Amino acid sequence: MEILNGFVEAIQGIFQSSGLVSLNWQNYIMIGVSIVLLYLAIKKQYEPLLLLPIAFGMLLVNLYPEIMAAPSTELLTAQQCAEHGVATAGHAVRIIDGIEYYENPTYGGLLYYLYQGVKLGIYPPLIFLGIGCMTDFGPLIANPKSLILGAAAQIGIFVTFTGAITLGFTPAESGAIGIIGGADGPTAIYVTTKLAPHLLGSIAIAAYSYMALVPIIQPPIMKALTTKKERAVVMEQLRPVSKLEKIMFPVIVVILIAILLPDAAPLVGMLMLGNLFKESGVVERISKTAQNELMNIITIFLGTTVGATASGQNFLRLETIEIIALGLVAFAMGTAFGVLFGKLMYKFSGGKVNPLIGSAGVSAVPMAARVSQRVGQQENPGNFLLMHAMGPNVAGVIGSAVAAGVLLNVVG
Amino acid sequence: MSNLSFTEIFPVAELTMAQRGIEALKVILTGFVVVFAVLFFLILIIKIYSAIIVKLQDAAFNKKKKKLKDNGEALIKKPSKPVSTPAPVVQDGIPEEVIAVISAAVASMYDSPQKARIKSVKRSASGRSAWANAGIADNTRPF
Repeated sequence: MEILNGFVEAIQGIFQSSGLVSLNWQNYIMIGVSIVLLYLAIKKQYEPLLLLPIAFGMLLVNLYPEIMAAPSTELLTAQQCAEHGVATAGHAVRIIDGIEYYENPTYGGLLYYLYQGVKLGIYPPLIFLGIGCMTDFGPLIANPKSLILGAAAQIGIFVTFTGAITLGFTPAESGAIGIIGGADGPTAIYVTTKLAPHLLGSIAIAAYSYMALVPIIQPPIMKALTTKKERAVVMEQLRPVSKLEKIMFPVIVVILIAILLPDAAPLVGMLMLGNLFKESGVVERISKTAQNELMNIITIFLGTTVGATASGQNFLRLETIEIIALGLVAFAMGTAFGVLFGKLMYKFSGGKVNPLIGSAGVSAVPMAARVSQRVGQQENPGNFLLMHAMGPNVAGVIGSAVAAGVLLNVVG
Repeated sequence: MSNLSFTEIFPVAELTMAQRGIEALKVILTGFVVVFAVLFFLILIIKIYSAIIVKLQDAAFNKKKKKLKDNGEALIKKPSKPVSTPAPVVQDGIPEEVIAVISAAVASMYDSPQKARIKSVKRSASGRSAWANAGIADNTRPF
């Protein structure tokens, strides 16, 4: 009989600690959402490198919330320590109302520790290091005017800020929501961790979802704002850029931006360090590591832990829907302003600039540039806009980092 | 100025719609001006340093050209007579394209292709593939 009672108690204990008792309806909805995201990542291949770990992190935290639990200290009396088999030796003692309590530290969940790289703003700059190693700034150096398009596409960030603050978000939250318009995942995460860490899950998921949807969101806006004649413009070939110019570029940019806008220095600094690794040609091994192994490791940690911030209680709120809607506005506005400035350049250059390259001013490298190329080829199959669009595209990375610096400075 | 943030100075709950509008306009104006100013400045800097580098490289090229002229060397070399080198001995079954690729790879390793001459081409007896050898070489190269 005693054995049977013990067995029943054990089963009851397991049941009580299982997810069947501890999880609520919000967790179950988020499990469903994460499975949809996994489907999109695997079957539709929407930004799978990030969407897959994000979706799995989301799944994990909603199945087992303690995986993101912070470490804490529980106070136990000597009797409780004995009951729970906790050793009292070496534990600090606190006396409250004449009773001795032993401070028993409990450890945090696995993802809590990995999340510190996000919380402390370490992962996004490291991702930028890898991006720098993979980026060729040649088209931008050959045609520096494309930086204007990279700047124009950032206007969406500030316009969305207005929408967010009008809806009742705080200035800091509005800044974090607006940065979705930069279409730059690491920048969005970096700014959000500094301005509104409690919105990280919603903002990161909105940012990466829209980046994955660039080929669907951008073309209608591009076509609506341009004429057939403008879209068919064939641009002149870019001049070749010497190695010395490419080596000097990251050094000059980092000096300039770090002095003028120190808040953007961590992102721009690491981006330019990575680019110098690549262009100098003397540290090939480091360059390879930064753009492959290091970036892959950071992507796993970043994606999984960002996904793990989207627990049911945090994510299923009205403000998440508002953020997702505002993110779309930010993205669309960034694209629209880029194209409109492209049209201005078309007019001022006497029809030499194809305005479609303006939409690539939102970062989303290199997907946004590919979209410019594809829409251009639909009008003129012999038109190759890719290299011309890469200029504004990489300018967008610098532009969104500068915009991030402005937001951190003004509302941070 | 103290280090208080905006929300500490103006708690959000106390912001009226007008104050929110003012704050939004302030951010838009600051963002617009700073982003464009920084990137315009960057355009200027890129243009200046690119112009300097192109000019220096042109000057160096012209100097070299002048030196060659002064030495009496023809700027455009007359096509030299084809050098008659014996054709490499090629093992049966190796296609001409492979010989061409091997020749190009060997030539690319030397500053002057004339320094290299292929005497024969035969299949390697090694059991390890060329890719495996390249991988080993890549991973065992000293620092």
